[in-house]
Amino acid sequence: MAAESGALAPDKVRQPPPREERRLIREAQRGSADALAELYAAHWPAAHRAAYLVVHDAGAAEDIAQDAFLAAVDRLDRFDRRRPFGPWLHRIVINRAIDWGRREALRRSAGDPEKHSGAAAPPEAIGGELMPALAQLPPDQRAVVVLRHLLEYTPGEIGRMLELPRGTVNSRLRRGLDQLRDLIEVEG
Amino acid sequence: MSEDRLRDLLREEPLPGAAEAEGRGLALVRQAYAERRTTGGPVLPRLAVALAAATLLAALLLSPAGASVRDWIDDVFTAGIRHAEPALTEVPGGGSLLVQSQRGPWAVQADGSRRLLGDYREATWSPHGLFVAAAAGRTLSAIEPDGTPRWSISANRRVHDPRWSPSGFRIAYRAGNSLRVVRADGTRDAQVGMANAAVPPAWFPPGLHLLAYVNGQRQTVIAETDTGRAMDAAGASPGVVGLSWSANGHRLIEISRRDLWLRDVRIGKLASSLRLGAGRRVRLPAAAVVRAAAFSPRGRTIAVLLDRSQGPGPPRSEALLIVPAGGPPHRLFSVSGHLTELAWSPDGRRLLLAWPAADQWLFVPTEGGARLRAIGDIAAVFAPGHARRATYPRVEGWCCPSPSNAGA
Repeated sequence: MAAESGALAPDKVRQPPPREERRLIREAQRGSADALAELYAAHWPAAHRAAYLVVHDAGAAEDIAQDAFLAAVDRLDRFDRRRPFGPWLHRIVINRAIDWGRREALRRSAGDPEKHSGAAAPPEAIGGELMPALAQLPPDQRAVVVLRHLLEYTPGEIGRMLELPRGTVNSRLRRGLDQLRDLIEVEG
Repeated sequence: MSEDRLRDLLREEPLPGAAEAEGRGLALVRQAYAERRTTGGPVLPRLAVALAAATLLAALLLSPAGASVRDWIDDVFTAGIRHAEPALTEVPGGGSLLVQSQRGPWAVQADGSRRLLGDYREATWSPHGLFVAAAAGRTLSAIEPDGTPRWSISANRRVHDPRWSPSGFRIAYRAGNSLRVVRADGTRDAQVGMANAAVPPAWFPPGLHLLAYVNGQRQTVIAETDTGRAMDAAGASPGVVGLSWSANGHRLIEISRRDLWLRDVRIGKLASSLRLGAGRRVRLPAAAVVRAAAFSPRGRTIAVLLDRSQGPGPPRSEALLIVPAGGPPHRLFSVSGHLTELAWSPDGRRLLLAWPAADQWLFVPTEGGARLRAIGDIAAVFAPGHARRATYPRVEGWCCPSPSNAGA
């Protein structure tokens, strides 16, 4: 069931270990398509899920995650192996997802009737209790929640990724959590 | 709600089509990676080559020996599919291509044999590939695929956008702003309406000599060409430059540089009436410029060729497949640089994409089972001896694997 719905196993959040990741990047830089595929397998689920939780649109999330990986392929030769791959990828994913969310909000406010043409079902039709609650948050607040609670970055790391002061990250997190707490039924 | 609970919810939230999306993404990434490796070498040597090329490019402006230097630079920056087939010895998937070169249209048969049809500027296949309608100056001609002329008519303005009807019995064309239709034997040439010059007309695929076009008031019009009756008209989508019908005629797309607009078409019994629905924007990726779009021959899928430039990286071209009924676009193919052509194979199982910078045609399978084939040295085939100076050949049509049926 987990495989069908794409639920994210805990060990897939920030995998693989740094040494293994460096090896995969080195081999991919030397021409190993298998190493690239391993890198992809390790990072796609979290990247795709993060995009989806921010944009709430399966097609857009796939596109955003694909774009991030294509950017990674484009810049693979220049990638500094001493730095972790995940944060670099997640930064692209989250920023593009925020941009997409803002653009959609603008379209809605401009009365564009085609918001969902060609898109997957709206989130309330497929999700559980979380998606309608997340949908109440603006995209940049969703992004902070996803970076903190799905991808497990610290507020300082999130601030660097989104070029925000740490205080702003903390206040968005606090507000986001308060709002979600109000919207999602508290478990017994 | 605790933070642990929130974490669990974020991880467990169902993600529709996750496994399929992962598979599609991997195929795309592998392909982009393979393409990237074809440019070869680690980054430092490439940078050095690029710097050297830039220096030479500056020198080109001063050097009288410019042509040879330009050739060398072209070579440096040419990417492409590695191990492309060196010559066009067959049309992958079969059928016949109509290719417009600077010297005129070429008919390319399934076995790769080809013939220059004459000095014409535009051309289109008849529905069974037995004839070609070709335009040159103020003349519209019907010719056989071996170049033998059958008839010609003259117009009082330059002739453009010839389109042979699916029945085989009519040819639509534009003479200046006048949209005209002539019978396939060259008789009864008559004006149908006034057309917008930017938008070639498109015949209703089920037949009946119904033609969609955009008129001078920027309305999309469906006209019954034998009577000249407009069956319906609706405001055209902004910036429309092309029209494409689904095979059953129930959908029409209007193509602009930034958008695709999809209209449902309500067809009355025996096509006695036909109503255009409102245009719905088909969502495309951000920062995309539409180069081409067309319904598949079976009409279930729309192929779209996009240019995308995001961030500091090189521009990319992408071919997407879109199912009009819904669902996310499927990215079929993506390269650094520009693809310029999109043509469906007659059976809908392949797309032909042109990659001028690599001087390659790519035959990309749209379903499982076939492999991508790249064919190189295309420019030289259609401009023997002048490949570097000629404009890149343009694919005008990919026609009909079995031309044995009667009709045109």
